[in-house]
Amino acid sequence: MATPPLGSILLGTTNPGRLRDWYAAAFAPDGAAFSEVSPTMFAANFGDVGVLIDGRTDIGHKNPEPGRVILNFHVEDARATADRLNGLGVTWLVELEERDGGWFGTLIDPDGNYIQIIELEQGAS
Amino acid sequence: MIAALPAASMPSAEQRAALRRVVLGSCAPRRAATWYRRALGLAPTVADTDTTRNGGDEALQAGDVELRITDGSAVAATAVEPNRLVLNFVVDDIVEVEARLVAMEAIWVRELERTPWGIIGTVLDLDGNLVQIIEPAGGSLPWHAEGHAEGHAKGKEEHP
Repeated sequence: MATPPLGSILLGTTNPGRLRDWYAAAFAPDGAAFSEVSPTMFAANFGDVGVLIDGRTDIGHKNPEPGRVILNFHVEDARATADRLNGLGVTWLVELEERDGGWFGTLIDPDGNYIQIIELEQGAS
Repeated sequence: MIAALPAASMPSAEQRAALRRVVLGSCAPRRAATWYRRALGLAPTVADTDTTRNGGDEALQAGDVELRITDGSAVAATAVEPNRLVLNFVVDDIVEVEARLVAMEAIWVRELERTPWGIIGTVLDLDGNLVQIIEPAGGSLPWHAEGHAEGHAKGKEEHP
C-alpha cells in the first residue's frame, strides 16, 4: 500500500473571506491569490499542500479548542516574516524566538486557530 | 488581528510559506498514531522513529507533511467542533482503504461517494477529527491546482 499524502486541509470558518485574506497576507507574500472554488470556498497551495477555506454555519466564530490543531508553516526567513506579520498587526501567542535548531513563533489567526512559523537551521529536522 | 489585505496588493520577494506539519493534540497520542498507521498506512518519519526523542510525540509522514500527534491533555477527548478542520488524504485505491476502515469499525460521516472529481469518503479518527479520503478521478484535484478552480465549483452539500 502506498503511503497516502496529505493533499490538503480544510479550515471551516464563519467568515471565509476574512480568513482567506488573512492567510494570503500572512503566508503568500508573493502576491498569488487564493482560487475561488465556490463563493464560500477558497483554495491555495502552501508547499505541496492545499489549504481550503470553507464557509460554514455549524461552527462558532472562534475556535473553542485552539490547542487541538497547530499548523506549522515553514518560512525561509522567520525574522523577516515576523517583521512583516507585525506590520500587519497579527496577534502572537508566542513571539518569535530561537531555540531547538531554528526560529519558532506562534500566532493566532482571526478564527483563533494556532499557527506556528518555523525556520529551521541548516541540518536541523 | 490584521486587516483584510488581499495578498495580490502586497507582493514581495519573500517566498510563500510551506505547510509542512500538522500537529494534533490528543488525549492518547500513541493510540491515535496507531489508528493512522492502520487506517492509512502512515509510517513514522525518518527522523522520529524513536518517539522518546520527541517528548512522547508521535510523528507520521504523509507525503511532504508530517502529522505529529502530541499529548493534548488540555483538549477534550473528542473534538468539540470537528468541522473546523478536515484532513484530506489522497489515496490510490479507496476501496482498499474503505475495507480497512470498515474492519477497524471506523465511524463514517460520509460513506464513499462518486463525485465529478473522484471518490470521497469521510470518517472520524479516534479523537473525533474528520479524516477525508479521496481517490481523484484523474490528474490533480481542482482545489490542489491553483488557477484551475473554475468549472469545478463544489456545492456546500458535497463537504463534510
